[in-house]
Amino acid sequence: MKDNTIWVGEKDLNRDNKYLESVDQEFKSPDILDNGEVLMEKESNRRDFLKFLGFSVGAATVASGCDIPIKRAIPYVVKPDTIVPGVATYYASTYVEGGDYCPILVKCREGRPIKIEGNDLSPMTKGGTSARAQASVLSLYDTNRYRSPQMKSDGAFSNVSWTDLDNTIGTKLGSSKNIRIVTNTVLSPSAKEAIKEFQAKYPQSKVITYDPVSSAAILEANEMSFGDRVIPGYHFDKADVIVSFNADFLGTWISPVEYARQYISNRKVNGVNSKMSRHIQVESHMSMTGSNADNRVLVKPSHLGSAIAYLHGKIAGGGGGNGLSDKVKRGLDKVADNLRAAKGKSLVVSASNNIYEQILINDINNVLGNYGKTITFSDASMQRQGNESEVEALVSQMSGGLVDSVIFMDCNPMYDFHKSVGFGEALAKVKNKIAVAYQPNETTALCDYIAPTHHVLESWGDAQAKRDQITLIQPTISKLFDTRQKELTLLTWAKSDKVAGDEPYLEFVKSVWKNKVFANQTSFSSFNSFWDNALHDGIVKVNGGSNNGGFNVDVSLAKSKVSKPGNSELEMVIYEPVSMGNGQFSTNPWLMEMPDPVARTSWGNYLAVHVSYDGNKKFKGLNGLIDGDLVEVSVGGKTMTVPVVLQFGMEPGTVALALGYGRTAAGKCGTDVGVNLNDSLTANQGLTQYYNTDVTVSGKVGREEHFSSVQYHNTIGVTAENNNGETINADEATLGQTAYGVGIMGYQGSLTERSVIYNSNLKDLGENIEHLKEKRAEAQHLNDQTLYPFEEYTANNYKQGHYWGMHVDLNSCIGCNACTVACMAENNVPVVGKKEVSRHHEMTWLRIDRYYYGDVENPSTVYQPMMCQHCDNAPCENVCPVNATNHSSEGVNQMIYNRCVGTRYCANNCPYKVRRFNWLDYTTADIFPGNQPTLNGEEIPFGADNLTRMVLNPDVTVRARGVIEKCSFCTQRLQEGKLTAKIEGRRLRDTDVRTACQTACPTGAITFGDRNNKNGDLSKKLESPVNYVALEEINVQSSVTYTMKVNNKDESIEA
Amino acid sequence: MIIHTIKRFTFIAVIAFLPFYLSAEPTPAAGKTLFANNCASCHAKGMKKAATGPALAGVEERWADYPREDLYSWIRNSQALIKAGHPRAVELWNEYKPTVMNAAQHLTDENIESILLYVDAQVNAAPAEGAGGEAGAGGVAVAKKTPAWLYYALFGVLAILALLLTRVISNLNVIAAKKDGREYESKSLIETLTGKGFVSFIIFAGVIFAGYTTVNKAVSLGRQEGYAPEQPIKFSHATHAGIQKIDCQYCHDGARRSKHSVIPATNTCMNCHSAINVGSKYGTAELTKIFASIGWDPANNKYIDGYEDMSNDKIKDIYTKWIADNYKTENSIDDDTPLPDEAVEIVDDQWNHIVESLTNDQKTSIYGPIEWIRIHNLPDHAYFNHAQHVTVGEIECQQCHGTVEEMEVMAQHSPLSMGWCINCHRQTEVQFADNEYYTSYENYHEALKDGTKEAVTVEDIGGLECAKCHY
Repeated sequence: MKDNTIWVGEKDLNRDNKYLESVDQEFKSPDILDNGEVLMEKESNRRDFLKFLGFSVGAATVASGCDIPIKRAIPYVVKPDTIVPGVATYYASTYVEGGDYCPILVKCREGRPIKIEGNDLSPMTKGGTSARAQASVLSLYDTNRYRSPQMKSDGAFSNVSWTDLDNTIGTKLGSSKNIRIVTNTVLSPSAKEAIKEFQAKYPQSKVITYDPVSSAAILEANEMSFGDRVIPGYHFDKADVIVSFNADFLGTWISPVEYARQYISNRKVNGVNSKMSRHIQVESHMSMTGSNADNRVLVKPSHLGSAIAYLHGKIAGGGGGNGLSDKVKRGLDKVADNLRAAKGKSLVVSASNNIYEQILINDINNVLGNYGKTITFSDASMQRQGNESEVEALVSQMSGGLVDSVIFMDCNPMYDFHKSVGFGEALAKVKNKIAVAYQPNETTALCDYIAPTHHVLESWGDAQAKRDQITLIQPTISKLFDTRQKELTLLTWAKSDKVAGDEPYLEFVKSVWKNKVFANQTSFSSFNSFWDNALHDGIVKVNGGSNNGGFNVDVSLAKSKVSKPGNSELEMVIYEPVSMGNGQFSTNPWLMEMPDPVARTSWGNYLAVHVSYDGNKKFKGLNGLIDGDLVEVSVGGKTMTVPVVLQFGMEPGTVALALGYGRTAAGKCGTDVGVNLNDSLTANQGLTQYYNTDVTVSGKVGREEHFSSVQYHNTIGVTAENNNGETINADEATLGQTAYGVGIMGYQGSLTERSVIYNSNLKDLGENIEHLKEKRAEAQHLNDQTLYPFEEYTANNYKQGHYWGMHVDLNSCIGCNACTVACMAENNVPVVGKKEVSRHHEMTWLRIDRYYYGDVENPSTVYQPMMCQHCDNAPCENVCPVNATNHSSEGVNQMIYNRCVGTRYCANNCPYKVRRFNWLDYTTADIFPGNQPTLNGEEIPFGADNLTRMVLNPDVTVRARGVIEKCSFCTQRLQEGKLTAKIEGRRLRDTDVRTACQTACPTGAITFGDRNNKNGDLSKKLESPVNYVALEEINVQSSVTYTMKVNNKDESIEA
Repeated sequence: MIIHTIKRFTFIAVIAFLPFYLSAEPTPAAGKTLFANNCASCHAKGMKKAATGPALAGVEERWADYPREDLYSWIRNSQALIKAGHPRAVELWNEYKPTVMNAAQHLTDENIESILLYVDAQVNAAPAEGAGGEAGAGGVAVAKKTPAWLYYALFGVLAILALLLTRVISNLNVIAAKKDGREYESKSLIETLTGKGFVSFIIFAGVIFAGYTTVNKAVSLGRQEGYAPEQPIKFSHATHAGIQKIDCQYCHDGARRSKHSVIPATNTCMNCHSAINVGSKYGTAELTKIFASIGWDPANNKYIDGYEDMSNDKIKDIYTKWIADNYKTENSIDDDTPLPDEAVEIVDDQWNHIVESLTNDQKTSIYGPIEWIRIHNLPDHAYFNHAQHVTVGEIECQQCHGTVEEMEVMAQHSPLSMGWCINCHRQTEVQFADNEYYTSYENYHEALKDGTKEAVTVEDIGGLECAKCHY
């Protein structure tokens, strides 16, 4: 292996001939028709020609004969003061889904929420968002929503009125001896008050809180260590050494948006003198956080407890670490060295759901003096509050017939609780099963009464994700259907006297705030001005208090109780994917189609298996499997058929499979996609363990029909190989060798001499900056050797006005995909479905390419957001026969849909592979229904119904079939920003124009601006010596600048 | 609400008072215009009924006890007079507060006398004339085109000339033939018409004509210049923008700040029409539609409680009574006298028309928005922003929309084709000097300074680029 090699998967490392052929032509697979025929091999004869001719003339005649349809302009009767049609209004609110939390601004047009932005007043996220928060606006318009209250009679649900439902439930609850409310974590102080009101009316009721993916062990460990049952506030920004045991804190663990911002703020590199933290991840499979780590120590999932004990032994003494291999021990020794060198400036976290392992973690942090520095309690997180052992207790009570009524508060234990306890059978013994739910799910199907609740964007409310801050939730649209928000439903059933007025729950929230929040602040003297201000900002700082208890727990007892390392040959990690959670998000098509950051798969869960390397260009997957093979995997006795994806960086003897799929009642998007792993979870001491040691994987039993992995789609950098197997550049192949394709494999892979990615270790940065300088100088020299020197004829093109550009900091990009989803929301990018993705037809304008470098089996990762580079010397523009793509005086590569005739020459000629073609009518913008893909047998494509279309951005054209589309640098935002500046009569600032990907990013990896504005944000970023331009040597003069990926690897730790 | 209304009125006043009157001899005719511009928004034109302001009939008698100047200063600035403690002023204020009469400082004594003369004339005029008689003098705007007969005449003259020339040529041919001693064979008309040359010409001309027509028709597919559909309400821009001189952006208030100019909401209409209950041209026929859409009770000057949920029958009772009562007032029929048959028919007619205008298959309730027919339609892939053109470009509305203030029925003035847009972008100069935004165009500023460039057009700053409008 050559140094500095990057690759996307084993295929391009392998230089597999079949693969090379397959990627030689970008648009090969699409030509296969539904009936299996190959389009280009179909012949058309004279008769066909006449048919086409006749049809065209006929269609044209009919079309021209049509009257222009009458369009209506319908104004308001009484126009609300706050709405100006055509101008967006932003409201501060909060995205909450169980413990998932993000302070947001909701962009509304004509009263419709259409886009989520981060609220930069939040000290937690500072304006960052997650893919889940971005996608939440789509759930508002989900066709799968409950539209009215329902009651079950004779096994079938029928719609009833709220009065009927309330009366019936009132009677049932009144006669119940035992009532249980089952809920996921409740962040809202007002909701907790509402529950108290309910309990005051029904003292026989009890609340059971659990989390779909549990962190209960941390809560209990902190209860035992500090007498404070809470998740403390972590400060990744203050830590110089971060050690994480399987905690995916950048992707899914507790508060990823907050942690990602902190983590990256300590890892930005501007030059040789930059400092960055060192992050060591101890894990079994390649998680998103692990992929960002500087070093990874691989252990089997059941050995993680031992690894924690071993590290504890090294830091705090007392030995420990049974069953660990010497290699792991050597690695952990180095980890301990690193930690000891950063006392008070380090942070050790773990996702382990074993209380005693968490106590050891607490002790490690305690010995290192991290409490009060990188871990604090005054800003402790409330984002996980559940304990699933309560659910287990509930199950036994239900089985014993001790529970008369159970109310599910928008949660789905039937799906997301581990099946070993027999939840369904126990539930059947409960007399009154009531679901307060947003959508039908596995649990509601078993209930008798459905009280539909609002979407968070239709609700009033509040959320306290941290002790020292509360955010408000305000409705941004009237309720779309006959729903009632869940807190109000509880209050109504409690017959609370606090329910009054037109907006009863608003009044309730206000009364809670008056007593609890307003009373404890001093800035405002009147509640109304306090409330107005809080509503405007969306966030209020409160006093978080301080931790009173010191660290006090029996550590040696804890050490004896860490989980025993398994000795089975194969183990499975069962992990929460970034997109799906534990199934809460599987009804959301944007998230469903969002590729997994690491595995690059979408629409289902794929068994990630280890890849081994024989040291001589040969790679082998587990059991000889290759991507897309179907295997039978048996986990804890349950056998499932799943497709395989080969994954670098897996611990040998470990496979990984994601939670959140295989739902049986998740609407047309999420039903029967992938397999359900909750059935295979086990519990230890009442807490769910996210791995299984009883695993077997068969050989290949078939092939996945629609393998929707985008791993090898649109990879960039063209190279070729000559007869001797040496890599040469494609242009050399065409010039020097006999003929392109004869004995030479042209191929669009990434194993390349091209400048796609530069990387460096922090300690070698000076050297590598010099190397980068040389490479760039060489590229620029090459560019000067042209007959038509670019600079000469464009010297003055962009010297005045605006000259847009973008800077992407690869050190800040963690691969979370928030930008990808934000781009879909902003630019009306359609969802195409599994089959279409498998045919390379995904439409995302912005993709995040994932490359590996370094050690072959345990590589480092770099994520590269790739969008249209807006080349000033663009190859796509020259080849368009109809000039449908051309250049603006502001340096933007424009794409004009209504001019495009769909030759796709531009996409072929794009070196970055960022152009997308509308193969089918994904949006029903076409007039011929036959061109619409029916993805899961539904009548129209995803998002093409009238309800879902309410999410469309009215400023962006919905593209029809047969045209190319691509990133426009959010032209609509540029135009809007310019207009604002013009109206205000001032120069444009970089803050006026912010692209959707830029605002969505939790770590500030993307900077957009005007290169002619020398004082702008962008110009400052462009001064950094670690900047480079992707494929600079091909002289396309791209407008996007990347930074060299810098890691802070401790090279003494074995890979 | 009232304060809000007053704000709106002040706004109207500012707009309406812009023309400055320097008048000489007071006349009722001058008074009419002045009244329309300054007073009509609050004072009923019939002078006998109180609206927002009191009925003006007998105003002079009521002020007869005080010097004439007091009435002038009252009209110019009533609040000053009230503050000064003028007894008549205070009396009026107590009756009408907190509604403030708009100040009209610009009116000269002669202006005021003209208005008072007009008030007298109105009071003394025949009762029927008050409501329906005085139509605004607006007609449908007709573009100035060369009359068709001129073309025919020209064609005729040319045809005669051609005929004469043919005769001359044939005569010359005969003469020439005679000279050479040949017999001249003259072709018969049939021979000429079936000859190769003529047939070829006809075919050629036919192809050219057909091609020309096809291309022209194809190009104009989907374009609707001159489109003037009948609207659910016969709203007259000629009356509002022309006679009353209400600023375009008073109603179309999105134009300065949004991509849409915005069709005004019904409550915008009510800013004025809560005072003006009967239209100058159509009487109750059109205005009642607005009241019915929002639930305004013109008889009692208030919004109807629970109107949103009211049945159409109940709504019918309210407004047919209003129309009938108004008919009685106009025709001086006693309240107790039953309506004559023709009046019943008029009331029914008007009501049916109201129902037809305000309801359709989807919207069965009379309450609710008025569904106007959209005249200016751009295709979905074209982005247009009013604020950019109105606020930044400082373009007059009329430049694209034509002389709307003369249009009785709103019509599309411009083709709204891309060529039309582009042409304007080529010719229009950017407001370069005053807007600091454009300082980033340094080269142009230099060129303007040293005279190498005379003006910067929209084209120069990228106004012809595709993605300025298509994205």
